[in-house]
Amino acid sequence: MESKEAPKRMDRRKLIRNGMQLSLGLSLAGVAGWSATKSSSDDLVWQLDPFKCVQCGRCATECIVTPSAVKCVHAYALCGYCDLCGGYLKPDPNARTTAAENQLCPTAAIKRKYIEEPYFEYEIDEPLCIGCAKCVAGCTSFGNGSLHLQVRHDLCKNCNECAIARVCPAEAFQRVPASTPYLIKGDFTKGKKG
Amino acid sequence: MWTVAALMLVIFSWWQLKDPTRDFAVSNAGDDKRGVDSAAVNEVVNIGEKFEQFGSSISNYKGTWSRFRGADYDNILKNSLPLMSKWAPDQPKILWSVELGEGHAGAAIYEGKVFVMDYDETKREDALRCFSLEDGKEEWRRSYKVSLKRNHGMSRTVPAVTADYVLTIGPRCQVMCVKRESGDLVWTMDLVRQYQAEVPLWFTGQCPMIDNNRAILAPGGSTLMLAVDCTSGKVLWETPNPGGLKMSHSSIMPWTLNGKKMYVYSAVGGVVGISAEGADEGKVLWVTKKWNHSVVAPAPVCFPDGKILLTAGYGAGSMVIRVAPDNGGYKVEVLKEFLPKDGIASEQQTPLVWNGLLFGIQPKDAGPLRNQLICVSPADVTKVVWTSGKENRFGLGPYLIADNKMYVLSDDGTLTILQPDSKKYIQLDQKKLFDGQDAWGPIAVADGFMVLRDSKTMYCINVKK
Repeated sequence: MESKEAPKRMDRRKLIRNGMQLSLGLSLAGVAGWSATKSSSDDLVWQLDPFKCVQCGRCATECIVTPSAVKCVHAYALCGYCDLCGGYLKPDPNARTTAAENQLCPTAAIKRKYIEEPYFEYEIDEPLCIGCAKCVAGCTSFGNGSLHLQVRHDLCKNCNECAIARVCPAEAFQRVPASTPYLIKGDFTKGKKG
Repeated sequence: MWTVAALMLVIFSWWQLKDPTRDFAVSNAGDDKRGVDSAAVNEVVNIGEKFEQFGSSISNYKGTWSRFRGADYDNILKNSLPLMSKWAPDQPKILWSVELGEGHAGAAIYEGKVFVMDYDETKREDALRCFSLEDGKEEWRRSYKVSLKRNHGMSRTVPAVTADYVLTIGPRCQVMCVKRESGDLVWTMDLVRQYQAEVPLWFTGQCPMIDNNRAILAPGGSTLMLAVDCTSGKVLWETPNPGGLKMSHSSIMPWTLNGKKMYVYSAVGGVVGISAEGADEGKVLWVTKKWNHSVVAPAPVCFPDGKILLTAGYGAGSMVIRVAPDNGGYKVEVLKEFLPKDGIASEQQTPLVWNGLLFGIQPKDAGPLRNQLICVSPADVTKVVWTSGKENRFGLGPYLIADNKMYVLSDDGTLTILQPDSKKYIQLDQKKLFDGQDAWGPIAVADGFMVLRDSKTMYCINVKK
């Protein structure tokens, strides 16, 4: 057997990825913290299991909040940073560019940024995201599944009878403790996929 | 009353003047500020510059899996030794394994030697590596410096091997022909520099072909297809490319229609049949641009009655065309075009024809049939004869038939043995061979040895009965 260990160093891609992970983590932690101040540890809130989600689009149309309190989030650790991103580009696009006609997202809520050949980074502009899951379906079918939906608790009214949960065909909605309100894809959900 | 009217006027004026699209931003091409791949533009590559000999051995094995999809381009090993249909708990034995650069390049086997195109990230070299089939010891490698960055793998082509030569295409379209036994360099070609080929996304996927001692290559660029004499390196013919078809990840397939031999290539931009013999050798016999997708990996599946199944991933689905003689030429007719949820489709692997039936694993966008192995009749490829069921899903990995058994490798290194059947899915055994990731490289099998790989390691198992 041969050994091909490259010298360990922090490359630009890794630095950016770590930065994005940190920002996502801090953002979600902030929202979680804010939610926690409003609820006791015994309280439950709605969340959707991204591994059960079938990207039916009902999160966009059924939520009582407009636009939906369900948003796309990005697990950067899982992302392939692909040029041909199935979550960003329409299937079989004319070109791999940021032109509107090539984008899958109906509200242009995903920002694409060139990192270095051949890597591109994708960031969700949450205020624009309507939770339609088109990008999630593309990323799940043709990529690593790093784009996924989550109920954002700074927007969710936590209805007793969640309008989305009532119609979710995959029964992906569940109540989770308010102290751990997110089911983000990543290291701690590894193994759940199978 | 005047107050209400004034208020209404104000509201009306506001409504008239308000531009609901004022916050909209225009999405233009180039907003991502895409850069240029400097390595691809400036690098001068001295193809085949380096040779290393590590050892040598004499093998008594005579079996071959000499190229992509095997001797007959159908992924079926004929005259196989009897192979196991069920494994004991300690079987199959992994005889040896070798670490490779990240990629999906499958191996070719020729009389006891394994040939694989690899990329060494430490040395930054493309390398044709020759191993002993029996013990996995590397005997020699022929390599050259070329800059690559990982892009879902690097090398992904299977060498073509004959009694005399080994032909390779590297990730950046560098072609190398060497002597099979010694690894001596015979000739080289740079399809980008010489023919303005465009390196496909995720690098070259076209597996080279040797037909009648001629290397057959499809660069796209200035030349759609060309033939090179393997012995002299002389270019025998070049097919012009006025239609601007580009190199895809698909590979050229030979086909004989009504006694006329041709090469069929599913390019980016269209599919073409080029004469493989006679006075018109190298001439375009037929072409259609109705099959036009940006990423095409599976090879065309050609049937004797003139039908061709074309399939591709990323939402493209499939198309069935019929090529027929017409007034001294050929006409091409589209018989069917459909999405993956409506019929057989594939993202990477080429569907396999066995006993008049077509087998393939559906892509992830195929609805309820996603990742299932399905069987369809070529007469109607949208009508499913049987499926492996929702309990038996596979991935993007390869599959082949040997000794009347079908072997399917899943992404994670699980190997499943099936009994190919015209009526139903019959699973004989299943075993997780290794903790793999993206085990997509084609399988090679010869003399009861099966060579498989995941993205980073090549394994050899004994499947002899």
